[in-house]
Amino acid sequence: MKKAIGKGLVVVVTSIFLFSCSKSTTTVVAPLTATTVNDLPADTIIGVTAQGQPYGAGKYTFYSIEKNAIVANTDSATTKWDLAFNGTKILTNGGTSGTGLGGAFVQVGLFDELKTISPDSVFKTDNAPASYAITYGSGKGWYTYDPIKNLITPLAGRVLVIKTASGKYAKVEIISYYKGGATLAATATDAEKISKQRYYTFRFIYQPNGTKNF
Amino acid sequence: MKKRAIYIIWASAFLSYTNAKAQMNFSKDSLALYSDTVFVTANKSERQVKNISVPISLVSGKSIIQAGNTRLSDVLREQTGITLTSGFGAGVQLQGLNPDYTIILIDGEPLIGRTAGVLDLNRIAVGNIQKIEIVKGPSSSLYGSEAMAGVINIITDKKNTDALAANIRYGSYNTKDGNISITKRLNKISAQTFYNYYSTDGFSVRPNSNNRFITPISRTTFTQNLQYRFSDKTSIDGSLRYNTENIKSIIAVANNGTTIYSNGNEKNNDLNGSIVLNHRFNEKIKTKLNTYYTQFESKQDLLTVSGNPYNDLFQQNFKRIENQTEWKINSSLNTIAGFGWIKEQVNSSRYDNIDSAKTNTIKYAFNQWEWNNGEKWVANAGFRYDQNQNFASAFSPKLSLMYKANTHLRFKLSIGRGFKAPDFRQLYLNFTNSAAGNYSVFGAVEAQKVINKLNQLGQIGNLFSNYYQLKKLEPEYATGIHFSAEWEPNQNNELQFQIFRNDINNLIDVQQVGNYISGSQIYSYLNIKNAFTQGFEIEAKQKYRNGFSSSLGYQFLLTGDKDQIASINNGTVYTKNTNGTSRLLRLSDYVGLPNTSKHRFQVKINYENTKGFYANIRAIYRSKWAVANTNGNEVYDNGDQFGSGYVTLNYSMGKPLKNGFAVQAGIDNINNYMDGLNLPNLAGRTFYMTLKYSTQHKK
Repeated sequence: MKKAIGKGLVVVVTSIFLFSCSKSTTTVVAPLTATTVNDLPADTIIGVTAQGQPYGAGKYTFYSIEKNAIVANTDSATTKWDLAFNGTKILTNGGTSGTGLGGAFVQVGLFDELKTISPDSVFKTDNAPASYAITYGSGKGWYTYDPIKNLITPLAGRVLVIKTASGKYAKVEIISYYKGGATLAATATDAEKISKQRYYTFRFIYQPNGTKNF
Repeated sequence: MKKRAIYIIWASAFLSYTNAKAQMNFSKDSLALYSDTVFVTANKSERQVKNISVPISLVSGKSIIQAGNTRLSDVLREQTGITLTSGFGAGVQLQGLNPDYTIILIDGEPLIGRTAGVLDLNRIAVGNIQKIEIVKGPSSSLYGSEAMAGVINIITDKKNTDALAANIRYGSYNTKDGNISITKRLNKISAQTFYNYYSTDGFSVRPNSNNRFITPISRTTFTQNLQYRFSDKTSIDGSLRYNTENIKSIIAVANNGTTIYSNGNEKNNDLNGSIVLNHRFNEKIKTKLNTYYTQFESKQDLLTVSGNPYNDLFQQNFKRIENQTEWKINSSLNTIAGFGWIKEQVNSSRYDNIDSAKTNTIKYAFNQWEWNNGEKWVANAGFRYDQNQNFASAFSPKLSLMYKANTHLRFKLSIGRGFKAPDFRQLYLNFTNSAAGNYSVFGAVEAQKVINKLNQLGQIGNLFSNYYQLKKLEPEYATGIHFSAEWEPNQNNELQFQIFRNDINNLIDVQQVGNYISGSQIYSYLNIKNAFTQGFEIEAKQKYRNGFSSSLGYQFLLTGDKDQIASINNGTVYTKNTNGTSRLLRLSDYVGLPNTSKHRFQVKINYENTKGFYANIRAIYRSKWAVANTNGNEVYDNGDQFGSGYVTLNYSMGKPLKNGFAVQAGIDNINNYMDGLNLPNLAGRTFYMTLKYSTQHKK
């Protein structure tokens, strides 16, 4: 903790130094910083069927990237939300899912290295149930599922490039699908795997100025 | 090669009758490197160990008995360079290559009945074994498919006088093991019978899971051998082996507080029979005609208290006729030529229809030339050609060279290429998983046919570019280079050092080739992967004056998937940091193929006195190995799940009593190491005691 504070101080001091050196004539654009959302519930488990399938209440959790806040379910038909979470399925506000301009695609690469969305990239929209902008299924979009260990693991090097309901851009990296921000160990109990799943931890950068640059 | 009588006939070219007899009595545990011991597997004919130019190792029957081993898995677990894999029983991993790539023979005849490529070594009882011969690397390619990583040949004991032996053993987990073997010799006929019964209540070691399992197993093996000598020149051999295995499993699944039990029943049986006609034309030429039949059947039933029963049936048979002729041209040159015909058939409930038999016919020929100048040099060159009905032909050449620097030091270099035929699953599987997303897997022979049909029915959504690459599967190939140095400074010390590299091409892997209109995936098999294994092995054996002896073995192993390494170098493979964010994977994070351990080490200390009392302790170490991808990329790296390195300690001791009786007692896994998740086959500490009787008791 002390170390982190120390590092922070160094950063602050350095930036003060840097900024004080820069001429006031150049406009300083504040760099966009990543926001982390912790343990966002996504239709968490409320029971197990007779066949052993865990199930939730069947509700989506709607999220506004622009406001960095959960949106009430009553607003599901509006453009107030950008992403909606239910289990491993993530919807965008567009196509068959919503009335907004939303869409997305999954890019293979590193979150930090995605500085500009390529001008020729195509934002897909949801076309339920055949296809989703954020491809749904093990190994296809953002996660893999191990049926033996019964665990969902986010794929490494996947950036969800998002078009928000209002047509602006954001990038998202999923960090964990389990409560606590880390994928459970293979040896975790079945009970733990059931109760702690469907909690998203992710980080995102939202570009409010409408450009495709981060 | 199989029987005492053949020894007598076959030995003519290289060994005198008496010599052969002396070799039959071989029972030395170690220090066999420079001996006259006969070894049949490397050259497909009897040769003295000191004249074999490829890397070999030998496990004597005596060491198997003294270690208290009852199944082949127990024996191989303790050998240098061999690791046992778990999953579908105990499989053998030789020099880092999967169980699919090692052929297992009993008296030279191949065993069949693999599940997902694994031949379960627990199926093989070792109560009647004279020795086990191991040839490493694809220089054993004359054996055809699967002889890529090596050949393990189990030579059963053919006693040369009338004998009766029996033993019973009782151990932890209510494990019972009993053997009877009888040898009877008349004038021209000799017969051996062997019977083994094994049963165990099983054990449960899986932690932190509601899936507690015990798998009670019972196995029965019956072997009958018969030899008839028409004359000194001609003999006929028959042998029959039947093995049956019953596995019961109770699977408990906890379901929201209530536990549902499923009763599983698995019945496996295999039958092997061979008739071999041997004839020696003269001092220089001998031939044998070998007919072999084997079948394997596996039946699984799973009954859940509520829900549909699950039934799975797999039947396989294998017929082979082979002729092999050996011609000793002169004192330094010898050649073996052979040809044969194989027909394999599989019926499985996982193919389109249990009643429609899938068959493959193979015609093959092989030829080998050996040159031995009697002093410094031995050379061996050979090849085998297999023409297959359902997949591409295979050509497997080999070349080896040995240089004897002096009577204490030898160097061997061998290069060879072996192959593995695509298995029936890869050719014919027709499986749709209705329990998990309706995806389908089609074997390569069926895929285009089936998908075309589905397409006409309008069920295909889209096809990937690799669908159009589907074609006759090629065999998988391994090219191996082995270099070894063997040094025996004196009668009591022996040191072997070996470097190896195996390059495996054309590996068959399952790949998605398209989608149904519903979006479900369609998979098939393609030759796409390339891998390697390399490393070195050291083996040292010592004998001390006071009855003690010891042996040490070490293997260093590196493995990798060449395409994955290329991707890592191209910067297209990612991994997760501990905080869950991604970064590029570095080559130093890469650990190679799963289930392979970098280090393997074993030590054995043995004591035996002149009265026949013996005691030995064996320690086996295996370093960590990658088990599963858990950090969201497709390669195995430091961030994945590993089985942790471990040591097991085994101890046994025994003593002869009066009138042919003997006793043995031992403890396996003294340190009680268990890892239910990664080593489901490793039982905890096990005590056992054996009572033996033999009419052939030693002086």
